[in-house]
Amino acid sequence: MVKFESEDPLVHDEPMLDDVDSDEEQSESESEDDSGEEFHAEPSKKAIYNKEAILEKLEDIGWPENVDWRHKLTVEHDQGEKVDVNDDLARELAFYTQALDGTRQAFEKLQSMKVRFLRPADYYAEMVKTDAHMHKIKGRLLSEKKKIEEAEERKKAREAKKRSKEVQAQKNKEKIRQKKEQIDSVKKWRKQRQQGGFSKGNDDGPDLNFEGEEGFKQSKKKRPGVSPGDRSGGLAKKGNPGKNRKTRDSKYGHGGRKGLKKQNTAETTNDFRGFNQRGESQNKKRKMS
Amino acid sequence: MAKKRKRSSDAAAAAAAAAEKPGEFAPERPERTLFGFMEKPTAAAADLEESEPETASEGGEDDAAAVAVAAAAPFRNKEKVLVTCSRRINYRYRHLMQNVVSLLPHAKKDSKVESKQSKGNALNELLELRSCSSCLFFECRKQKDLYLWMVKSSGGPSVKFLVNAVHTMEELKLTGNHLKGSRPLLTFSTNFDEQPHWKLVKEMLTQIFATPKDHRKAKPFHDHVFVFSIVDDHVWFRNYQISVPHNETDKVDKGGLDKMTLVEVGPRFCLNPIKIFGGSFGGPTLYENPYYISPNQIRALEKRKKAGKYAKKVKAKVRRKMHEMENTLEPDEFAGLWKGED
Repeated sequence: MVKFESEDPLVHDEPMLDDVDSDEEQSESESEDDSGEEFHAEPSKKAIYNKEAILEKLEDIGWPENVDWRHKLTVEHDQGEKVDVNDDLARELAFYTQALDGTRQAFEKLQSMKVRFLRPADYYAEMVKTDAHMHKIKGRLLSEKKKIEEAEERKKAREAKKRSKEVQAQKNKEKIRQKKEQIDSVKKWRKQRQQGGFSKGNDDGPDLNFEGEEGFKQSKKKRPGVSPGDRSGGLAKKGNPGKNRKTRDSKYGHGGRKGLKKQNTAETTNDFRGFNQRGESQNKKRKMS
Repeated sequence: MAKKRKRSSDAAAAAAAAAEKPGEFAPERPERTLFGFMEKPTAAAADLEESEPETASEGGEDDAAAVAVAAAAPFRNKEKVLVTCSRRINYRYRHLMQNVVSLLPHAKKDSKVESKQSKGNALNELLELRSCSSCLFFECRKQKDLYLWMVKSSGGPSVKFLVNAVHTMEELKLTGNHLKGSRPLLTFSTNFDEQPHWKLVKEMLTQIFATPKDHRKAKPFHDHVFVFSIVDDHVWFRNYQISVPHNETDKVDKGGLDKMTLVEVGPRFCLNPIKIFGGSFGGPTLYENPYYISPNQIRALEKRKKAGKYAKKVKAKVRRKMHEMENTLEPDEFAGLWKGED
């Protein structure tokens, strides 16, 4: 301890000095350049580089020359051309290849030495990362995988939807085509029949009065005998159902215009059934009193 | 530990015994006390020579020629690394330190050190106390800059790095795992051998990060590999797990070397050397990184860039005004032409 005390100024001066240095450099450079861009590239000229002393130190601390490789376990790897630092992928790849190449070399060496160096399958011991942590990692990996799968599925569904529109259109076309064909075939058949000497209106064949498109179209005209407010389209009046049903159907059923029901007609204006004559007079009385 | 102690003291005893009475072979065992083996006065003298950690001499059996002893002495790595940090360290950097401790079975952890003027002194004392031969000291400043001191104790050189791009082992992206205490393989890129200061750094990295062979906490398998690579004048560190198909413990399966894959375990960091000193935690400066800019400076620069905004605007306005004053527009000859129309 005493020894260190005596060295005191040397020991703690240097590291602190370096801080002061850097501060000085800072102020200098600040005054020097305004742009501050090329500032990174240029090396400072007064930097110390004492090569002899460094090599001497290296010799001091170095292990003996002929030390067994198994103490060091070091492998050198030539990176080849320069690696771009800012390209993350290229950089990591360079490190990975260095590790892989180094490991291969080392393993070959170890194999040739005939020593046991691989961990047996039944060797369990403490690991650097705990089981709980590894479980977490596994969970994350799984969830990532799931996410990717889901995304893919969604993509597929989207594509299928696009496709389904096309398919539907195709089907519709096919339907129309078939219809046309059938009609054509029926026409053909009728022509043949006429040519064969059968007169029209004979009860041998069905009277198919659908020449042209009109035969299939439903008339848009109002059906006769149906009031405009009848939402059932006159259906309610036809069948057996009771009176209530009928009125309700005509009132609440489908179609028709609602507004017509709220309009007055000649009948309703003359109808005083719902009109309370007394009500008003009573009110008047009440007002008076 | 026990084994090592026994052997070295045995050797000393053997040497002493052989020197005194050459006829007798069986060396006398020193008496065991509570604090280790009691050494004989003659053995103590011999022991002094081998107190140096790197060159532990093991006894030649019966012929006690000192030269022969020195020559035959097998190398023994007794590296012990003290790992500690400054007070008020960031949690992230603290975790990095703990990761380093978990990777180095020959590391000793110590409590945080107050980062003040005399910290070098205190650390040197601490190294002496814990009998460590090297030290990794994580110094955090301003809660955001991490410096790493890599020091060989008792007069060895010390290197000060700035640590960048820190990723700890806890990150879930790093999916590998390996045995605690298995000895790492160290791979260095070849550009470590190009310049003397890199050579020194390489030697220090090897000594500090290589787990000593036959260390009592070390496991005899190799399942991870460290990468030290110089890119852009920075030392990049990576740690990979080796997964290779094998059935036996001394041989990889046929073609297994090609099927070998690596999984990253972490941590990751990048070291930017700042200075190399001659002593431990101080001493004459041997190297200075000419490209180094302190993070303070970088931050100041950024701030200055941002700060100039308003001043620039005002300046530009003034300049424009001056320009307009200097070059006044000539009165237009058609200026009053359409005046009466509206």
